[in-house]
Amino acid sequence: MSVPESLIASLVSATEEVFDTMLATTLVRQTGADGALAAPANVVATVAFAGHRRGLVVLYSSMTAARAITGSMLGIPIEDVNGEVPDAMGEVANMVAGTFRTRLAASEPASDISVPTVTIGNDFSTLYSSAVHRTRCPFDMQGEQISVELILTGEADLKRR
Amino acid sequence: MRFLVVDDSSTMRRIIINTLNKLGYTECHEAGNGREGMDKLATQSVDLVITDWNMPEMSGVEFARAVRANDATKALPILMVTTNAAQGDIVEALKAGVNNYVVKPFTPATIKEKIEAVLKA
Repeated sequence: MSVPESLIASLVSATEEVFDTMLATTLVRQTGADGALAAPANVVATVAFAGHRRGLVVLYSSMTAARAITGSMLGIPIEDVNGEVPDAMGEVANMVAGTFRTRLAASEPASDISVPTVTIGNDFSTLYSSAVHRTRCPFDMQGEQISVELILTGEADLKRR
Repeated sequence: MRFLVVDDSSTMRRIIINTLNKLGYTECHEAGNGREGMDKLATQSVDLVITDWNMPEMSGVEFARAVRANDATKALPILMVTTNAAQGDIVEALKAGVNNYVVKPFTPATIKEKIEAVLKA
């Protein structure tokens, strides 16, 4: 099973809406899905969803991009960002996952989403079992690359329809 | 106009309070979940509550029910700001006593419009 195109389109539009509305930032979608990051991600914000569908929405960014996002959300200069990055990036991931969930709920039973978790560091990678299906969508954010990933575990629960 | 902003995300509390400040509302109290919100309401006079839904200890829906069950706060207007925007979510929140609903992500204009609608009702 690959990730359905309709889900990818919903995730991309949810991400663009969150950045446009809350950050006044237009994201430029980069070509192709499953794109590798041009640089390692230092900040990874994850929200799980479960119910009709099960999986994860993951937001990846460099620390530079995360500080820019945080400053923009809070209305403070980037140099004044100090310790707010985890909560801010978790909130962005929460809004992306929540908007994605709402779009899916227009045509299928709603899933529930978890509280966000945020990992910050250097020289780490995220690994999943081979049973999951992943699609990563990269964006350019004013010269910085960010990406969102959709990870699905199993098929949609058609019995609940 | 005095506000109580209830959200477990300090970022979102700050965004909402920044938005309220820009709209000219400068007296804002904060709480990190519904239980803290009830504690604040016991000690602070508030004209309108803005609450998230998904919070630890006491969710926004549980908080709305607690506000409505308390004689001292039962008439307090409640505006919910959340990503939970499926039709069933909105019905559940309104049944719990929420007066109006803002879906994240939101613009300052939306917050203004919803506050005005809640205060007019």
